[in-house]
Amino acid sequence: MFELTLQALYSGLLTGTYYALVALGLALVFGTMKIINLAHGELVLLAAYVAYTAESQWSLNPLAAIPFAMVVVSVVAIAVYLLIDRIKKDRELNSLILTFGIGIILTNFVLLVWSADIRSTTTPWFQQAVVFGDLLFSSRSEILFFLISVALVGATWWWLSQTWYGRATRAVSSDRKAAMLMGVNPRQTEILSFVVASILATVAGIAIFTGQVIEPSLGHALTVKAFIITVLAGMGSIPGVLLGAILIGVVEALTVTYFSSSLQELTGMVLFLVVLLLRPQGLFGFGVRRG
Amino acid sequence: MLQLEDISVAFGGLAALSNVNLRVDNGEFVGLVGPNGAGKTTVFNVISGLVKPTAGNARFIAMDLLKQPIHARARAGIARTFQIPQPLHELTVRQNLIVAQKFGTGHSDPKRIDEILDFLGLTERAERNAANDLALTEHKALEVGKALATDPKLLLLDEALAGLETTGKRQFTQMIKQLHEETGLAIVIIEHDIETISELCQRAVVLDFGKVIADETPERIFRDPEVMRSYTGERSA
Ligand SMILES: Nc1ncnc2c1ncn2[C@@H]1O[C@H](COP(=O)(O)OP(=O)(O)OP(=O)(O)O)[C@@H](O)[C@H]1O
Ligand SMILES: [Mg+2]
Repeated sequence: MFELTLQALYSGLLTGTYYALVALGLALVFGTMKIINLAHGELVLLAAYVAYTAESQWSLNPLAAIPFAMVVVSVVAIAVYLLIDRIKKDRELNSLILTFGIGIILTNFVLLVWSADIRSTTTPWFQQAVVFGDLLFSSRSEILFFLISVALVGATWWWLSQTWYGRATRAVSSDRKAAMLMGVNPRQTEILSFVVASILATVAGIAIFTGQVIEPSLGHALTVKAFIITVLAGMGSIPGVLLGAILIGVVEALTVTYFSSSLQELTGMVLFLVVLLLRPQGLFGFGVRRG
Repeated sequence: MLQLEDISVAFGGLAALSNVNLRVDNGEFVGLVGPNGAGKTTVFNVISGLVKPTAGNARFIAMDLLKQPIHARARAGIARTFQIPQPLHELTVRQNLIVAQKFGTGHSDPKRIDEILDFLGLTERAERNAANDLALTEHKALEVGKALATDPKLLLLDEALAGLETTGKRQFTQMIKQLHEETGLAIVIIEHDIETISELCQRAVVLDFGKVIADETPERIFRDPEVMRSYTGERSA
């Protein structure tokens, strides 16, 4: 019993960190543009399938496919941005419909090109077990991407707080008009937030491809999860996103261990509803923010 | 330096500005006065780009102002403050200034930031959170500081003094006066207080119901019974 719980906590921690990458991208774009990109999970999935093609067609190691996948995902993300940018009326609402549609198109594109079969890496290195003290089981991929994800979350935090572009991004998130009156070009920061979100999404996609399995419907599930995490975190707090993501990962792992894997996707939703009812400002948010 | 020609603004059916002409020369200090709802803030909104006029032209230096997006106007040297202070949340006082400087001027100059903080008496408050930890006077000072950090050529002050108690107001007035004398910056100030306008401005423009009804030296304006009637009449209402 104790061992099972410990293992679930451990697995949840490892999964939660790459969830954080997905959620952080969603939150960044929400911050600068005040829109929810409902095709965000599909971008993650796209990166995974690019790595799959690179590996199966050109025998490229999935890690080596990362830069290539980043370019593909960024190009698609910028295209999404340009489409959203064309919406002149009720952008918050209409962008939901637009990005939902793009998500469906991307899912079907993936189905068409890569079929509905479940895929995973064929490079054995990633799947080899790493065991700590005969107690905690994981794969090399999970450990590797845990470290990369934590580093990337840290790098994103550093970027947002210490660099000029990051500060501009925060300024636009905080108050778009005030930022523009200071001379910040909001379009630049918006495109940048899409590109950073793409980079994070790509790494998450490769983490899933090497550590788990991918299939065309995964994108949608990831979007929902990222959205739940962002709301749990209380929109816009990076440590909150990381903690929220790990919380979801852990609760999912506990559900799978003690109930059933078929309930895994449900647990996030339940947690989400409970938090919305009891703490609408988010688990780690402090009051409702103005502006 | 700035020239508004026959600017009109309508919000729905309401004519907020009708054929407003306003000229500001290099280094000038102009007062913009008028009763509540006269359209003063709307003039600033047109200049800074937050409101698109329904008719008219505007030039700033050699630029066709109305074609420029908000951020380009800021970079060209137009800075404004808001009636209600609007700091960037989550950032400290100093960070607010740094961001404004970086994006308004394209470079960073920590010494200049220190100067501005010192000039505005904000040095001790520099590391505080700009949204939560400031008193009203400090908020107002930060508003001016953010505008100064962009190294403007034209400074638009929207009731920068309103809401301050008498000594605070005196100090602030002296500070702005000093700023104008030392930098030769062109300034337009929206202000209700006649004495302040008389002390600071070489010229005052009176708006009433969206129309310019006078554009002269403060002494002449405040001696004009017609102007004073609209002015005081509305103010006590
Ligand atoms: N965004 C807006 N939408 C609709 N009406 C507006 C808007 N902004 C201003 N108005 C209206 O335009 C008129 C002029 O407003 P403005 O804020 O320019 O006045 P003001 O002279 O600055 O007044 P105050 O002294 O109260 O600040 C008012 O009737 C106001 O209600
Ligand atoms: Mg006003």
